[in-house]
Amino acid sequence: MHAVDSRPAPAQAPQATPPKPVKRVRSRGQRDSGVAWLLSLPTLLILVAMLGYPLYRMIVLSFQNMRLRELFSGATPPWAGVDQYTKALTDSVFWGVVARTAGFTVVSVTLSVLAGLGIALLMRRVTRGVRMFMMIAMMFVWALPQLVAAQAFRWLTDSDFGVLNYVLTQLGLDYDTHSWFVNPWEGWAVITALVVWAGIPFLAISLSAGLTQVPKELLEAATVDGANPWQSLRNITLPILKPLLMIVTTLSVIWNFGLFTQNWALRDGHPEPVYQTLATYSYTQAFGRSIYSYGSAISVITVLLMLGVMVFYIRQMFKIGEVD
Amino acid sequence: MKRKIAVAAALAASLFGAAACGNSGSDEGATSANGTVDGKGKTIKVWLMVDAETSWKGVVEDASKRFTEATGAQVNVEYQQWANHLTKLDATLAGSDVPDVVELGNTEFSKYVFSGGFAELNKGDFENSGTWLSGLSGACESEGKTYCVPYYAGARVMIYRTDLFEKAGITEAPKTYADFLSAADKLQTGNAADKKFSAVYMPGQYWYAAMSWVKSTGGEIAKQDGGKWVGQLSSPQSQEGLQRWVDMVKKYSKADVTKNENEQAGIFSQGSGGIFYGNAWEQGVAEEVRKDPNDPNSELVPTKVKGKLAAAPLPDVPSFLGGSNLGVTAKSGNKELAAQWVKYFTDSKSMEGLIKASALPNATALLDKAATDNPKIAPAALSAKNSWFPPNAEKWADVEKGNILQTMLTDILTGKKTVADGAKWADEQIAATLNEA
Repeated sequence: MHAVDSRPAPAQAPQATPPKPVKRVRSRGQRDSGVAWLLSLPTLLILVAMLGYPLYRMIVLSFQNMRLRELFSGATPPWAGVDQYTKALTDSVFWGVVARTAGFTVVSVTLSVLAGLGIALLMRRVTRGVRMFMMIAMMFVWALPQLVAAQAFRWLTDSDFGVLNYVLTQLGLDYDTHSWFVNPWEGWAVITALVVWAGIPFLAISLSAGLTQVPKELLEAATVDGANPWQSLRNITLPILKPLLMIVTTLSVIWNFGLFTQNWALRDGHPEPVYQTLATYSYTQAFGRSIYSYGSAISVITVLLMLGVMVFYIRQMFKIGEVD
Repeated sequence: MKRKIAVAAALAASLFGAAACGNSGSDEGATSANGTVDGKGKTIKVWLMVDAETSWKGVVEDASKRFTEATGAQVNVEYQQWANHLTKLDATLAGSDVPDVVELGNTEFSKYVFSGGFAELNKGDFENSGTWLSGLSGACESEGKTYCVPYYAGARVMIYRTDLFEKAGITEAPKTYADFLSAADKLQTGNAADKKFSAVYMPGQYWYAAMSWVKSTGGEIAKQDGGKWVGQLSSPQSQEGLQRWVDMVKKYSKADVTKNENEQAGIFSQGSGGIFYGNAWEQGVAEEVRKDPNDPNSELVPTKVKGKLAAAPLPDVPSFLGGSNLGVTAKSGNKELAAQWVKYFTDSKSMEGLIKASALPNATALLDKAATDNPKIAPAALSAKNSWFPPNAEKWADVEKGNILQTMLTDILTGKKTVADGAKWADEQIAATLNEA
């Protein structure tokens, strides 16, 4: 946040000579912004090429009706107006997928942020050696590609060969050939566990970095004044951590809302309807069933839904910036 | 969101390719596979599925050798995985650097023929084309034209543990469905000590099996009525078959109801099963595995059930006829060469090789020969004579992709839906998918 706000203001030109101060200041500002634009040009070009153009094509596609025939021949698909959107928005299956994705996002983000914060707070308390160990362990989790982690979880929970069933059976429970994906709640618990587990390192490490901004003296003073740890956390630590918490939560929402790899891999590339999220659903429609336009429409709706959520957060972030 | 954009980028990339290469392949007439073509200095690209690599690589090499001798052209075979081959094919066919010959599952072909992905061929150019198995060639034909060539078939049989049969006092393979059930009963009681034991190992999403049971009582999946497809699973006959399958699975199988048949041979090879329902070659897969699963040339090591398996037709249950076809892509730059390669790869000599490798040949004329030449596939060859095939609808592949039947089966087996409710739901989904404009 501070980095964003600390742009040198044009007014900081005290040595400007009296005759034409306004002009001098402006030309300086123009030169600055010119350099800024020049420096960000490569990034902007790449963004436009890699994100802008595909996004534009996706939006165009969502107003057409493209099938395999058009894909093969290269012919322009027939225009379909808002048909694809009507189809999605009036389909109860689609809304089921939206609700499921949103529900999963709320649960998984809450769990991972709480766990991340808890671990970050714990890391302040433990000795240096333990802290190092925790850091390294989390780095390993973080470094693991999503697909590899998902595959490992798939094996752990396999009904025939899975270690999880084996261990539970050894403990005296009847988990032989138990399938974890028959009951959607159990299946989603596995997926959520995987996502939360893989999400904790980023959150814990970022938040523990943020915690270093909380002055120890302040906490000590609070303790001297009779505040209990809970009060210190609520009234000192969290307010200081709030901007960072906001950002990592927002990022987690973005990532988890786009859940694809985990449920896709755990269901072996063909998720049942109860394991479909917006990302897999749009992929299945577009690439599985070759209804490219419908898939695109779903993607556009997903982006809009995300923006709806994001507006709230972005506004919050600007507010925080202004207060600073 | 990042992922959305990745999807969009992939789509856009495909679009670029499509725009760059333009239209080709329409109204050109059939590509001939006869006559001489000078292919010197040319290489054709062939996409075969991984089965050819694991089970009959020699046949591929032999056909390619004969093709190269005749035409002078080289062959570059790339083996594909079933899990993602269609997505890969779609993206590739949208571009201009396309494979010349592509293998697809017989139930997958209609969609591509309809979408103009494959070139027309001269049926008469290919050996045994007069007696091609209709379950395979059905998907190749559209409006009297032929767009692909049947390659091989697989009919499902029951594969069982001879040692456990003996122990249970069962002396011969079941002759009727009642025999089959009583054998399952005996296996179940005889092996009650093993908590993981399935008298009949049947994964819950094995829809080819479930639909075979539906066919066994005269049921249907869907039929065309006045140009519209109508789901038929709710019909009394279909429901009876479905119920029969569900009862059998609930009683004799401990298999995961959310798994399909992909891993069944491997799981069966662990020894906790009495019977499973699979393709003839799955017997081999259950008996021996590659020491290094990633290296098709590594040595074979026996499993726990090595030498203890036998196959027989499942009595009174018609078999699903699976298999593959080969097509020449419409965008191929070497259509004639490609058609020639297909000709060599599907001629009687190649078929003999396939029979040796325990795959069924592509024509009824060769089925009897298969049964006598290779006793291992005799039950499958018999099964193939009493076989069925999914509705030959252009969008059938979408029913498979949409997991409609799989979901119905899992829902019924877990008790989430009754047979009647599940069938009704599936009928609605199937009709919606097949009739989708």
